[in-house]
Amino acid sequence: MAHADSETANLAKAAAPGGRPTFWGALLQNGAYQAISGTLFKTPRRQFVLLASLPLFWVFFANLGPIIEMFWIGFLDSYPPKVGYQPQFTLANWAAFFQDRVFIIPFFRTLAYSFTFTTITLLITYPVAYFLAKHVKRGHQLLFLLLLLIPFWVGEIVRTYAIMILLGNNGAVNLALKSLGLIERPIPFMYTGFSLGVGIIYLTALYMLLPLYSALEKIPDNYLEAAADLGAGAWTRFRRVTLPLSREGIASGCTLVFLISTGYYATPVLLGGPRSTVFAETIAGFFHVAGDQWPMGAAFSSIMLIATLALTGLFLKLMGRDGKGMMR
Amino acid sequence: MTGEKDTIVHIDNVTKRFGSVVAVDRLDMKIVAGEFVTFLGPSGCGKSTTLRMLGGFETPDEGRIVLDGADVTRQPPNRRDVNMVFQDYALFPHMTVGQNVAFGLELKGKSRAEIDRRTGELLEFLQLSGFRNRTPEQLSGGQRQRVALARALAPDPKLLLLDEPLGALDAKLRGQVQIELKDIQKRTGKTFFFVTHDQEEALTMSDRIVVMNAGRVEQAGTPEDLYFRPESRFVAEFIGETNLIEGTVRGIDRDAIVIDWNGMAVRGAAHGRQPAAGEAVTASLRLENVTCHPKKPTREDAIEGRVVNKLFKGSRTSLDIRIGEGRDTLIRAYMDAGNAASIDDDQLWISWEADRLAVLRD
Amino acid sequence: MTRHTRILMSIIYWAFVAYLFVPLALMVTMGFKDSKFIGFPIRSWTFDWYIAVAQDTQVLAVFGYSMAIAISTTVLSLIIGTWMAAFLGPNTFRGKAIIFALACLPAVIPGIISAIALRIFARLIDIEPGMMAIILGHTVHNVPFVALVVMARLSTQPKSHIEAARDLGADSIVAFFRVTLPYLKPALIGAGIFCMLLSFDDFVRAFFLGGYQPTLPVLIFAKLRSGMSPEINAISTIVLIMTAILGLWAERSMRRLNKGS
Repeated sequence: MAHADSETANLAKAAAPGGRPTFWGALLQNGAYQAISGTLFKTPRRQFVLLASLPLFWVFFANLGPIIEMFWIGFLDSYPPKVGYQPQFTLANWAAFFQDRVFIIPFFRTLAYSFTFTTITLLITYPVAYFLAKHVKRGHQLLFLLLLLIPFWVGEIVRTYAIMILLGNNGAVNLALKSLGLIERPIPFMYTGFSLGVGIIYLTALYMLLPLYSALEKIPDNYLEAAADLGAGAWTRFRRVTLPLSREGIASGCTLVFLISTGYYATPVLLGGPRSTVFAETIAGFFHVAGDQWPMGAAFSSIMLIATLALTGLFLKLMGRDGKGMMR
Repeated sequence: MTGEKDTIVHIDNVTKRFGSVVAVDRLDMKIVAGEFVTFLGPSGCGKSTTLRMLGGFETPDEGRIVLDGADVTRQPPNRRDVNMVFQDYALFPHMTVGQNVAFGLELKGKSRAEIDRRTGELLEFLQLSGFRNRTPEQLSGGQRQRVALARALAPDPKLLLLDEPLGALDAKLRGQVQIELKDIQKRTGKTFFFVTHDQEEALTMSDRIVVMNAGRVEQAGTPEDLYFRPESRFVAEFIGETNLIEGTVRGIDRDAIVIDWNGMAVRGAAHGRQPAAGEAVTASLRLENVTCHPKKPTREDAIEGRVVNKLFKGSRTSLDIRIGEGRDTLIRAYMDAGNAASIDDDQLWISWEADRLAVLRD
Repeated sequence: MTRHTRILMSIIYWAFVAYLFVPLALMVTMGFKDSKFIGFPIRSWTFDWYIAVAQDTQVLAVFGYSMAIAISTTVLSLIIGTWMAAFLGPNTFRGKAIIFALACLPAVIPGIISAIALRIFARLIDIEPGMMAIILGHTVHNVPFVALVVMARLSTQPKSHIEAARDLGADSIVAFFRVTLPYLKPALIGAGIFCMLLSFDDFVRAFFLGGYQPTLPVLIFAKLRSGMSPEINAISTIVLIMTAILGLWAERSMRRLNKGS
């Protein structure tokens, strides 16, 4: 990190040897700069306002703006605006959701899928995280963790495709089963809730694993030793010590996996079938098939956002307050 | 540059509050150019806040800070000729030792050649020449401390602030660094404003010590003044170990104040306010100012006593002695380990010089 | 813990590793199959599909397009995210919890909803579907990640570093560029690579915010819908290798960061 050195050395080379101040020195001694800097940072309050400007703008403009606009469009009868037509306020888009099973079924199916996938992910990754945090030597943990991380850097589409190859009729699983003589005709794994689940869990497991691992890693070994010393068996130790202490990891892992798994679009399209249509596909339809259905898509997105956030909020509240009671 | 006896800093009636807490309460203090002044006190006494106000990191609520004739009360740190050695040294980890030292010079707009020259000089002065291209990570605690000092000295500040810079060093090294630091201060002629809670550090290095407590100055003076002639109970107790003597003033005899201490008449002196006869007072008597005589001495003010406890402390022994009519008064004294062995039957006599028993103002 | 549970857990771990790696390994293998049909068994091998990809100008153009988006997104995300961290990290003010929650919002909103909201929003602020819209969408999504990583790093920087810089003559701006920014460097490298991966791999935002020109994931998706082909495997394998290298680099940078402080 000789950047200061090389930078100043270059400047010195450009001028007569040793004649000129460095870049930062020249900047700070520059009268115009001093005046500007003096005005901008005159009081701590002014400095704070300046520091707050871009983040606050970004939070309200880029983070909150699109959501509010989406809600608003959900109340219009026509959008994008057409020439010569003033969009009217309407509740019809919201009402439509409750009137048609074509919409309600994918909606609840999505919630049920995400709930199921989250639970399965938790059950699969908890022992993995526990093994990593408690049984792998400190010095090797990074290596073992890295092994799990690498596949997760690969994108959604590529990994979905990998699952297609795995589960296809000519896929690896069917080939293996056939060569073992267990089946004669391939099992149609693909385009079902099963293949979708395998794919979604493949995509989201890391978001469960990492919070669990960091929660478990923080539990000092001597807590468990103390519990054992007091006569607690393996199961009691797990139930009374490990599980409550990893509650935070479970809560954030489940929240992340649930929220993220409801938001996939390409994976259900590629791995799912007509009987496993999820709400993301329903919503996307309004933006692809017909041009004038944005308001309905916006309203449906809003419904899904409210539902998912409310459910996770409720879940976190249960884990936080009554979680202690639940775990005991 | 200012002359030898000029005031370089005037802390003019400064008050600083944090919420409802008064950290510094109407502090008024002048610091003379070239002086090594130490602000000493327990944590929360206001010494660090004072230092931070001098550095520009806190702004006083009331009062002014005048640096070399100019009011700098509201100047930000980068606009004052004051530099600081931080408690954790705050060396920039991404820069080499040389770059750290050069940083202040560079920002002052000095030319590359001058930066190089002065950096080289300072590193040599602080015996760091061989470390110029190392990073702070590769240095020992003592070396880091010297780099921090070199970096703070480089811009040639009018006042150097040192915020407990020896706290991170181990005890053995600390003694050596104290001597070095004092030596560097003498050779550079810089004004050092040193803040510490360690009384030994303060006594070793300072020209002048300011003892602070609860935002106020308890006493300011030379290390000898503070040690042997404390004015307040706080100073007497905070610095060193002492006997606190509680009694009533009987009267003034020649230069000494005569105090009734559990029926004994003892002689002392007041270095601050003079007490009146009949007043209840506390006085401080250092352990090493109590002379112990194994045999009854000729001086008439010697007090007979009985040793009730001996604590061997290497070169000397600390004695707990009961004195007075009913042996109801306890005093502690030091004695050479050899002499302590020659006490018969635990009986001895003690005496002290009157001006060593300091009558306190509270 | 008994020896049996230990062995059981180690089996679960390795089974999980297999679950993660076997599909990818199969996909890579299939890219060398000398047949147009995806599926087992593989009877003969070829390198042709890679040659085909290298000669496919559409794929190359799309690759460049995705790369341009990823780089722009990364630069913007780093600037905004670092600024956000510098604001939210050290300062305390009323309503901070709400601002912090709003700042993290795009990271947890389900992807499809985020994409739809941004699609509508792009229309509102008059950005045509295409590169600009995708960059906006990816930046919105990535800023929280940068902000969180930088905030974590920032919290380990001693306050005295900035004070020392100020003491030695730096104003707030110079102190930031000369002292804070170098301190953040490992976090910025890690977060930057992470941003590139997120942007390069993203499908749902690119799909809804894109114009006629597809990004690489959108192109693979379109090709998949019209049928699997070993060419897709070849493309995917190249992407996979690239991602793994970048990911490992980011990981190394972040680990050094943790050790450093």
